Amino acid sequence: MNEKNDKDLADNGNELRDKVRKQIIEELREKYGNGYKEEEVEKIASDILEGYASIKEKALLDYIKNQPAKEIAKMERAKADAASHGILAEKEGEDFFVRFGINFRAQHMLLFSSCIILILTGMPEKFYYTGIASFLIKLIGGMGTVTFIHRIGAVGLIAMFTYHVLIYTPFTRQGRKDFLELLPGPKDIFDVIQMIKYFFGYATEKPKFGRFSYIEKFDYWAVYWGCLVMIGSGFLMWVEVESINMFGKTIVDICKEAHSDEGLLCTLAILIWHFYNVHFNPKVFPMSWVWWNGKISKEDMIEEHPLEYEMIMKDKKHRGKH
Amino acid sequence: MDLKAAEKFRGFFFMASLFCAFFVIPATVHADEENSKCFVCHGKVGFANPLKTGKVISLYINFKEFSETVHGKKLCTDCHTDVKQIPHRNVIGKVNCANQCHFLGNPSGAPETVKYIEYKNSIHGKALFAGNQSAPQCQDCHGKHNIFKPSDLRSADARENIPKTCGKCHLQEYVDFNTSIHGTQFKAGNKDVPVCTSCHGEHNIFKPEDARSTVSAAHITKTCSACHDKVQIMEKYGIPTEQVATYDESFHGIAVEFGVKKAANCSSCHGYHDIRASEDPGSSININNIPKTCGKCHPGANVNFAKGKVHINPKSKESGIVYYISKAFMVLTISTMLVLIIHIMLDLRKRMQKRKENRE
Repeated sequence: MNEKNDKDLADNGNELRDKVRKQIIEELREKYGNGYKEEEVEKIASDILEGYASIKEKALLDYIKNQPAKEIAKMERAKADAASHGILAEKEGEDFFVRFGINFRAQHMLLFSSCIILILTGMPEKFYYTGIASFLIKLIGGMGTVTFIHRIGAVGLIAMFTYHVLIYTPFTRQGRKDFLELLPGPKDIFDVIQMIKYFFGYATEKPKFGRFSYIEKFDYWAVYWGCLVMIGSGFLMWVEVESINMFGKTIVDICKEAHSDEGLLCTLAILIWHFYNVHFNPKVFPMSWVWWNGKISKEDMIEEHPLEYEMIMKDKKHRGKH
Repeated sequence: MDLKAAEKFRGFFFMASLFCAFFVIPATVHADEENSKCFVCHGKVGFANPLKTGKVISLYINFKEFSETVHGKKLCTDCHTDVKQIPHRNVIGKVNCANQCHFLGNPSGAPETVKYIEYKNSIHGKALFAGNQSAPQCQDCHGKHNIFKPSDLRSADARENIPKTCGKCHLQEYVDFNTSIHGTQFKAGNKDVPVCTSCHGEHNIFKPEDARSTVSAAHITKTCSACHDKVQIMEKYGIPTEQVATYDESFHGIAVEFGVKKAANCSSCHGYHDIRASEDPGSSININNIPKTCGKCHPGANVNFAKGKVHINPKSKESGIVYYISKAFMVLTISTMLVLIIHIMLDLRKRMQKRKENRE
C-alpha cells in the first residue's frame, strides 16, 4: 500500500517537474529566442528548476519543523489519503461526510428529550428519601405532577421506539442498511482485543472500524434492551389493574423492581459512558455536533471509521467510471 | 451571730406556726365544714332535680369519693362561684375550668398547661365555640365531681376507661373498636394495644381530613409505626416490623409522602377502628376480601390481587423472584459500569500518552 503511494507521488512529482520545465523553456525562448542556443536554454531551465526544487524543499522542511506534531500527522494523513484515493486535499477541513440523516437525528432528539424527562422524574422517585429528590419533586409540583410528566416522557420514548423498530428499520433503505451494520459480529471481538492491545502499547494502531465501532454497537443495543425492559415494565405498571388481574400481583412487583433497577443502569450508562464518548472525551469536548448537523469531518471519518471511508471512496470511484 | 440566727429562726418558726394556725388548718377543717353544709342535701342518695321535660338530673354526689379526688380539698363554692346562699334558688351555671382556675399564670396554684389552647383549636373546641352544645367540654371527659389522676383506675381518663369515655358520644366507633383486634386485646387486659387517644391524641384531636391530625393521610403511618415498627413490642405477637418500611418504599408510601392524598395509607387497607387480624374472615385484608379492598381504589380488581405478598422487601430472600431480579440487576449494573469505567480510564490514559509523545 505505502510503496504504491510513494510511487504514485513520485510519478506525480515527475509529471509536474516536466510541465514546469517545458513552461520555463518556452518563456525563455519567447524572450531571448534569437540570442541563445537550444542546449543553453535547456541548461538554464534545468538550473532554475534545480534551484527552485532545493529552495522549495528547504522551505517545506522549515515549515514542517515549525508545525506542531498534530498538524504533521494531519498533513501526512491527508497526503497519504489524497494519494491513495486520487483526490487532492485542497479543501481540507471543509470536507465532510453526512453520517446521520435528518430522520435518524430526529429519532435521537426525541429519544434524548424523553430520556431527560424520564430520568429527571424517575430518579427522584427511586431515591425519594434523599434531600435533592424531595427538592426536585416539590419543585416540579408534587408526586402527582411528577408521575404525570413521567408518563409524557414515556409516551415520547414509546413513540420513538415503536417508530424505530416497526417503521424505520424495516421500511427505509438507511434503516435496513444500518441495522445490518449494527449487528454484532466476530470482528467486534477482535476489535476489542486490538483496542486493549493498543491501550497497553502492544499495538501501534487502533482497530479499524467500519460504519459502527463496537462502542457504538454497544450503545445501540443497550438502548434497545433498555427500551424493551423499561417500556414493557412501565406499561404493565401503567395498566396495573389489568396486569394484576391477568398475571397476579407479583407481576407488578417484578416490574417495579426491574423498572427501577434498569432505570438506574440506563442513567449511569448515559451519564458515564455515553457522556464520556460524546461530551467529555478530550477529542470532542464540549460535545460532538454530529447529533445536530449529522456531519463528520473527513479527518474524523478517516480516524474513526476508516473501513467505511474506504468503502465510500470505492463506491465513488466505481460510480465515477460509469 | 449565733444568737441572731437562732432568734431569726425562732421568729420564722413562730410566724409559720401562726400562719398554719390561722390559715392552713382552718382552711382544711373549714373546707370539710363548709362542704358538709352542701352535702346535707347533695350527699343524699337519690337527690335529684326532675325537669319539666320529664328528664331527671341527679344531684347526688358521693362525698367519700369526692374527698379523694384531686379537688377533694376544694370548697364547693370554689368552683360553683354563683352559689351564694343555702338553699340556693337561682339556676346554677356551668363551671368553666379554663377561665376559673386552669389558665396560664393562675394565682390559685391549679396545674396550668397549654392543653386548654390545644382543646380550643381541636375539632371539639371548634365545634363548641361554634355553638354546638353537644360538643364535649372539660367535664365530659375528665368528669365533674369524680376527677382523679389519670393513673387512678377510677379516673375517666385512665387508659382502662378511655374507650368507654369516648364511646359515650362515639358509640359506633366504640362498637367497632370493641370487635377489632386492638379492642379484644384491650378487653383482655393487654397493655400494649392502643386506645382511642393513642392514635387520635387527647386535647389536640382533629378531623382525619385535617392535615394536622395524627390520623390524617400525611401522619397515619407515623402514628401506626409508633408501635408497629418497634421490634420489642411486635415480636411478642409475631407481627413483622418491616411492614412500615416496605410501605414507605411502595408506590403508595412514596405518593403519600409527597402529598398525594388519594394514595392508600395503612388504614385504607387495614381499616381503622375495626382492624382485624388477616386470619379473621371479617378482616379487610383477609384473602377473600382483598379484591374488594383493593377495588375501592382500583376498580375491577379481581382475585389475582390476593395472589402474592403485599408488603414486599426486595432485599429479603422471602420475596422470591423479586429478590433474585433485584440481585441480578445489582450484578449486571456493577459489572457493566465497572467494564465501562475501566474502558474510559484506559482510553483517557492512552490519549494522555499520545499527547505527550506528540509534544516531544
